[in-house]
Amino acid sequence: MRTTLAALAAKALLLCALAVLLPALAAPEARAAKKELFLFIWSEYIPDAVLADFRKQTGIRVTATTYDSSEAMYSKLKLTGGAGYDIVVPSADYVMRMGAEGLLLRIDKARLKNLRNIDPKFLDRPFDPGNAWSVPYMWGTTALAVNSARVDPKAVQSWGDLWRPEYKGRLLLPNDMRGVLGMGLKLQGRSLNSMSEAEVKAAFEKLLPLMDAVKVFDSDSPKQAILSGEVDLAVMWNGEAKVAAEEDPKIVYVYPREGFSMWMDNLSIPKGAKNADAAYAFIDYILRPEVSARICSEMGYATPNKAAMARLDAAELANPVIYPPEDAYARGEFEGNVGQAVTFYEQYWTRLKTR
Amino acid sequence: MNAAPGRRGRARPAFRLTPFRLAACYGAFAWMILLVALPHLLLAAASLAARGDPGYLDFSRLSLDAYARLLSPEFATVFASSTALAGGATLICLLLGYPFAWILARAPRKWRGFLLLLTILPFWTNSLIRTYALIALLGAKGLINAALLGLGLISAPLELLYTDFAVFLGLTYTLLPFMILPLYGSIEKLDPRLAEAARDLGAGRTATFLRVSLPLTLPGVAAGCMFVFLPAMGMFYIPDVLGGARTLLLGSFIKAQFLTARDWPFGAAASVTLMLLMAVLYAFFVRSGGLGAAHGARRRAA
Repeated sequence: MRTTLAALAAKALLLCALAVLLPALAAPEARAAKKELFLFIWSEYIPDAVLADFRKQTGIRVTATTYDSSEAMYSKLKLTGGAGYDIVVPSADYVMRMGAEGLLLRIDKARLKNLRNIDPKFLDRPFDPGNAWSVPYMWGTTALAVNSARVDPKAVQSWGDLWRPEYKGRLLLPNDMRGVLGMGLKLQGRSLNSMSEAEVKAAFEKLLPLMDAVKVFDSDSPKQAILSGEVDLAVMWNGEAKVAAEEDPKIVYVYPREGFSMWMDNLSIPKGAKNADAAYAFIDYILRPEVSARICSEMGYATPNKAAMARLDAAELANPVIYPPEDAYARGEFEGNVGQAVTFYEQYWTRLKTR
Repeated sequence: MNAAPGRRGRARPAFRLTPFRLAACYGAFAWMILLVALPHLLLAAASLAARGDPGYLDFSRLSLDAYARLLSPEFATVFASSTALAGGATLICLLLGYPFAWILARAPRKWRGFLLLLTILPFWTNSLIRTYALIALLGAKGLINAALLGLGLISAPLELLYTDFAVFLGLTYTLLPFMILPLYGSIEKLDPRLAEAARDLGAGRTATFLRVSLPLTLPGVAAGCMFVFLPAMGMFYIPDVLGGARTLLLGSFIKAQFLTARDWPFGAAASVTLMLLMAVLYAFFVRSGGLGAAHGARRRAA
């Protein structure tokens, strides 16, 4: 009996090896039809109608696959060496990382005649100098949502105000090391992309006493805690704040005076894209003013496309949660990749959470 | 096949590998190798590797460095909070589950199936959804506070959500059936005549329970505690969602090492350590005879 089982096990192992190897041998080159574009994008991030219109205009059919975390998108492309998709939509930090790791194709700007529609203040940012790897798609901020029925927004114009004893137990922070440590760095006048351990350590020491004042750490659905009245002050990204403010107009969004974090999602072409021509056609299509305007007003985020902004209605442009006023914008900083420094970021974050 | 010659007539027929059985065996082996053995071996290997950038792992420098780094006060805190939480949830489940299982096992036979069904009914809804449903109950504007305020019993909302109470409530709610089922198995097969005999011999109710019934159901207790403690150890979404994520637990710690810190060897070492701990508990459980309780019904039928 024992020998039979051992033999069975050996054969099963062989089967496993085959199961792993066969797809790798059989898969490639099966679907390189020129009229098809594989798009890998955040879920709920592009209207289906836009993809349908793109097909009507160019004859290129878009197959969209979605992800809901940058890490999931990155891991997939890392495993395939950048193959499998023609367009991907990495955030600023991942553009930096994937560009450096050779997972993205260098953008040939001569092929994007509509690139001039983008507001220059969104081009050539530190996360992608010269826009070698990416074209801005949509952007936003992470700042402080305040329930003005319970806290006067004028009293919390600085991150430092959160340390005041009367706010103890009424505060929500992101459950995310860059979000929290970045806030500490900004408060001390540093870059939130600092790679200096001394600066991160100083931010950690400043933040340590604040940890006891926090009622909730939540990055997934922070609007819920402020809407239900569990907290009165909540650090969240503007997509959440916008929904919260629509549901309860008493919720206002404050851009603290020391500066705050900004995010940008970008269109990039993975290294292994099968249909780069279609990818350029797609990016140039998205960059059209009417297309960008349609996407951002339907999705509720800000467009970096200046020509598109001219087509938006005044109420949308005047919403400070989506479009921060010019002076606030100047204080924002895009969150980039910090490379190996992530190790001590994580260490200080663990120490904050285990104080 | 060591059966004595005289008993050959009663021995089971020899196991024959029909094509169906063969296929089933291949399937099971392939499943176990591909999805259980290989990933665990990879995890163990990863815990010995060095961090590689931009890749995840560097196998050219093998060391126990990741395990050495686990000996930090921060990891000790993470480990202690997780153990305290899992231990507390286990104790609450045991205190609630034992009387519950007792009533269940002593209920009229025709009701038992239905009552057991009620016990496992919550599993029909995804546990994440049930956890979010608890938020709707416990929140400052939730059902409980709204009802109490409406009845005029309180003047300001009670602080229920984002407290230890909410965390233990969520863990108990989710894990209680895992405690009840093995307890039910071992209480049900408890022979009532033993208790009668104890009473006849002069033992009071308490003594009968403590010295006869309880020791005989200990395997069920051990099984139930293991089924609750082990998942509670790795569970982090319930404490995070209901407790406000103010304490860092093992599950989130490991997740962060893989996803944000991108320190795979460290995360793998923490996982392997957790699994070793579980293996030790399991060995303890097997020695205490707990495995018998899990198969209690079968043994009783034999």
